[in-house]
Amino acid sequence: MPSRPRSLDSSIGTKLLVGFTGFLLFLYLILHIGGNVMVFLGPDTFNGYSDLLLSNPLIIPIEIGLVMIFLVHIYKTVAMTLDNRRARPVKYARKKSAGAPSRKSVASSTMIVSGLWLLLFIVIHVRTFKFGPEYETASGVRDLYRLEMENFSDPITVVFYLISMLVVGSHLWHGASSALQSLGIDSQTWTPRILLSGKVAAVLIAGGFIVITVWAFSQGART
Amino acid sequence: MRLTLKIWRQAGPNVAGRLVVYAADHVSPDMSFLEMLDVVNEGLIKKGEDAIAFDSDCREGICGMCGLVVNGIPHGPDRGTTVCQLHMRRFKDGDTITIEPWRAKAFPVVKDLVVDRSAFDRIIAAGGYVSVNCGGAPDGNAIPISKDVSELAMDSAACIGCGACVAACKNASAHLFMSAKISHLALLPQGQVERARRVVQMVTQADAEGFGSCSNEGECEAVCPKEIPISNIARMTREYLRAVVRI
Repeated sequence: MPSRPRSLDSSIGTKLLVGFTGFLLFLYLILHIGGNVMVFLGPDTFNGYSDLLLSNPLIIPIEIGLVMIFLVHIYKTVAMTLDNRRARPVKYARKKSAGAPSRKSVASSTMIVSGLWLLLFIVIHVRTFKFGPEYETASGVRDLYRLEMENFSDPITVVFYLISMLVVGSHLWHGASSALQSLGIDSQTWTPRILLSGKVAAVLIAGGFIVITVWAFSQGART
Repeated sequence: MRLTLKIWRQAGPNVAGRLVVYAADHVSPDMSFLEMLDVVNEGLIKKGEDAIAFDSDCREGICGMCGLVVNGIPHGPDRGTTVCQLHMRRFKDGDTITIEPWRAKAFPVVKDLVVDRSAFDRIIAAGGYVSVNCGGAPDGNAIPISKDVSELAMDSAACIGCGACVAACKNASAHLFMSAKISHLALLPQGQVERARRVVQMVTQADAEGFGSCSNEGECEAVCPKEIPISNIARMTREYLRAVVRI
């Protein structure tokens, strides 16, 4: 019988880790968009909120934790995808979805592609904002509002962000509810609700970020 | 009916196979899919050619022996049926039908459309049993099991081990097959003795056989001739967690 750490290497252990880290990242995205909508309340509120985060001593351990969650999610999903490909060395000449009750969708079939796109996006995104130019406001806090407005005045950046947000939406369309199924959460009553909520959340999160990006671009265009 | 068949022909386990086109004339809409193949084979035998090898046994949809991927769907387009219960009235005159074997590393092709599914036997041997001696058939009410639980266990026990779940899964995963047996036994008092050991050993065996992992798409449920739901897979995950905590 395998010992506990080896259990996480099994196909179910992999599912549990991918589902658990994926769900934490989904929760993080909800916090992220919750913070971002403050941009509509003006530079003072937005910068005040970001300063509240930046000046919190817990932010460093939380960031390290977030990076670890990302690394586990990426490593496990890439390794799993390669293993899964090896499980069918000869492909079908013709393959079709059997339809309902299957949950297969374009989103579910392209999770590794959307995931790798998001990895690229996140590297660029973190470099642009977290490690971007350090503007300061008159009151001495980091002026992220200005940085955001500057970035989203560039149409190429805006298009890249809009595509990436559609990719986030696609990843969550399958991923949000699938994470809970992977953790073994399932019931006749709750599963249909979880499946629907996952899709609603995907649309709201991706849509929310798209609205913010387009709004920021339109602000730049106005000035 | 006149049909064009594109059938996977492979002479043996370690040789390359290919799709070969056959014309099937005189197909009656009342024939089952396998009867249609029988007629094609009789034609081939008359011409002195090698008959197309495919598995079948009861031809009543209950034994789990048959299994073909018909136009990209294991067991064909009908829900909740094996391919022996698929009838030619489901197709139209002039149709082209592609017929392939189950494709998975763990199910190597033996010949043409026949695959070796003994990996499933080894998974069952690893834990899908009850080793306590239950004696003769017990009195119906001797062990109290509520109606809803016994129904759930029976639904899972309905698995005929045909392997369509593996064939449909993009990862060639055996999770639905395993989870059906694990659910069946975990839900009943007779299965409690080996409950933790069973799930760990069966999952370990399936991984070693080269089956893939599960992406929660549910293609397996959609092709399962016994319509076993993927809620069993979620139960298997809970059983696994429970077992790992107890080891």
